[in-house]
Amino acid sequence: MKKAVKDPKNITFALIAVILVCMPLLYTAGLLKSTMVIFLGKCIAFAIVAIGLDIIWGYTGILSLGHGLYFALGAYGMGMYLKMQATGGRITDFMQVGGLTKLPAIWKPFLSLPASILMIILVPALLAGVIGYFSFKNRIKGVYFSIITQALTWAAYSLFIALSPYTNGNVGITEIQSLVGSVKGKANGGNLMVLFYAALVLLVLIYALSCFLLSTKLGKILIAIQDGENRTYFSGYCVSRYKNFVYILSAVFAAIAGAVFVNFNGSITPTQMTISYSVTMVIWVAVGGRGTLVGAVIGAFLINLCEYNLSSGSLVEIWQYVIGILFTLTVLFFKSGIVGVISEKAAALRRKKKMKEAEA
Amino acid sequence: MNEIIMTLFNGLSASSIILLTSLGLAITFGLMRVINMAHGEFIMVGAYTTYMIHNIFAAYLPSEIFDLYYILAIPAAFAITFLLGILLEKFVISKLYGREIDSLLATWGISLIFQQAARSIFGSQGVLVQSPSFLSGGLSLGSVVISYNRLFILALVGVCLFLVWFIMYRSNFGAQMRATMQNRAMAQCLGINSRKVDSITFGIGSGLAGIAGCSVALLGSVDSTLGQNYIVNSFMSVVLGGVGKLLGTFISSNIIGFSSIFVENYTSSSIAKAIVLVIVIIFLQKRPQGLFVIRSRALDE
Repeated sequence: MKKAVKDPKNITFALIAVILVCMPLLYTAGLLKSTMVIFLGKCIAFAIVAIGLDIIWGYTGILSLGHGLYFALGAYGMGMYLKMQATGGRITDFMQVGGLTKLPAIWKPFLSLPASILMIILVPALLAGVIGYFSFKNRIKGVYFSIITQALTWAAYSLFIALSPYTNGNVGITEIQSLVGSVKGKANGGNLMVLFYAALVLLVLIYALSCFLLSTKLGKILIAIQDGENRTYFSGYCVSRYKNFVYILSAVFAAIAGAVFVNFNGSITPTQMTISYSVTMVIWVAVGGRGTLVGAVIGAFLINLCEYNLSSGSLVEIWQYVIGILFTLTVLFFKSGIVGVISEKAAALRRKKKMKEAEA
Repeated sequence: MNEIIMTLFNGLSASSIILLTSLGLAITFGLMRVINMAHGEFIMVGAYTTYMIHNIFAAYLPSEIFDLYYILAIPAAFAITFLLGILLEKFVISKLYGREIDSLLATWGISLIFQQAARSIFGSQGVLVQSPSFLSGGLSLGSVVISYNRLFILALVGVCLFLVWFIMYRSNFGAQMRATMQNRAMAQCLGINSRKVDSITFGIGSGLAGIAGCSVALLGSVDSTLGQNYIVNSFMSVVLGGVGKLLGTFISSNIIGFSSIFVENYTSSSIAKAIVLVIVIIFLQKRPQGLFVIRSRALDE
């Protein structure tokens, strides 16, 4: 426990959390726009999904190109509940346009909040469980797993667009408010603060849970799987079960992140389900630093904040080049991302200091 | 009867397009084990090359020889993507041999750059390429009309397939290529310049994507996301066929093409696409190595 508190990475995370706590206060003081706070709320959601991705990719070595799917499933679950709140449980416009006369059975659970939350967690967990169970048991690994998850995401995306009476196709679920009511505008500043702090608490909880899990024996086994899967099998561990467990865990994190995201975003479209969105999430983790949880969080915040500030006006084009080049260079030369580079430098400095002390 | 002919031809046509787009991947992924996510963008580059040559002919040359643009576009698309492929291999991929997942990610970064470049140069609106007059219209079989475009693509696939087979199995370079991919150290000992072989092999794979781009330019509008539409099916057909087997890719693209068209008869095309992909994924759970397996005693592949 003491070690965990002293770890510079955890201190960095605590620092980020403290900065985030101050943000709504700055907003009430009038120093920050509400759109910025809403955007930071979305970043919190992105950080949650990045933590999940980092556990399976950075620690276990499974690259999923389909986390957008779980993110979107969670987001759609929450979006459907919020839509039902907005319409008062009646069937929506797009269902009527699609030729439905009654609320479809798939929408029924989203009439109540507990059932919705259950669905948000259970549906992605089940899907990930089924895919993971068969894939890992049949020893599908490495790039083959990535390609399969990619194809699955593509298939799900096509389905969501095709089933427009149930999902509103390309448009997605729009015109919804957050769980605590509208967060737009000055009058609803209180709602925004409640929502923001709730999201922040969720992020801290998920970070702490992940830290705890990785500090146990499980974390060591995951790293062992990344370093030598067959050796781990031979040591007597059922690798596929461990892989399946972390895969489900990260899918659930992604779904929770999606549910948080939709509250701030006020709509959900199938764009969040595409392959390129899924890879964008991988980019956050890669640039921030795979293999360290705080790296994933830093990556998610840093890249999104840069994008938010740069991708307006004429800088839109440049931003796409920047992100492409940054990602390629990170993969080529800085495998461990920003956090990796910094901690290497820090370690080198410490060594130098020790050498000097020894000399003196 | 007409419907059966139509379905069969559509299936054949869909398969030929999948085969053409995955032929290059069968080389870069199948033989070299490099996951080139920018493969789709090479297809896009090929399509835009066709568009540019089309425009040059329309603007500067007499209209009598306009139709020749397409004949010129195919080698031009091959040449440009061949060069791009060699550059990509030299500066990015050669540093990532043995790190498959990293090569996937790095080439994804490259593909983002390519897509944005296409948007900056050509705009985000799709552009249309006019088919040369000898490819417009179609062949009437009873009441069924089979478009010349699609027949041409079918022939093009046949030619490409033959050339790839010839290069791989009947030429001296092909022997060097297969030797390098099977046992690099041994090939080097026998005096094969393996770096050069890597570079040219990757170039050929990319060049084939360029030719594929040339042919899909005839089918619809060309925009920066063109490559993304083909990449998933291409990868699936290479994986389903069995990595490293040309015959496997040939058969699996036919399976994917025909089954999409057959399923499409009962439902919409996007649902059909999803169903076929899910079936392929389920099949891969049964046979993770694909249809054709290269036997190996190595534990970690």
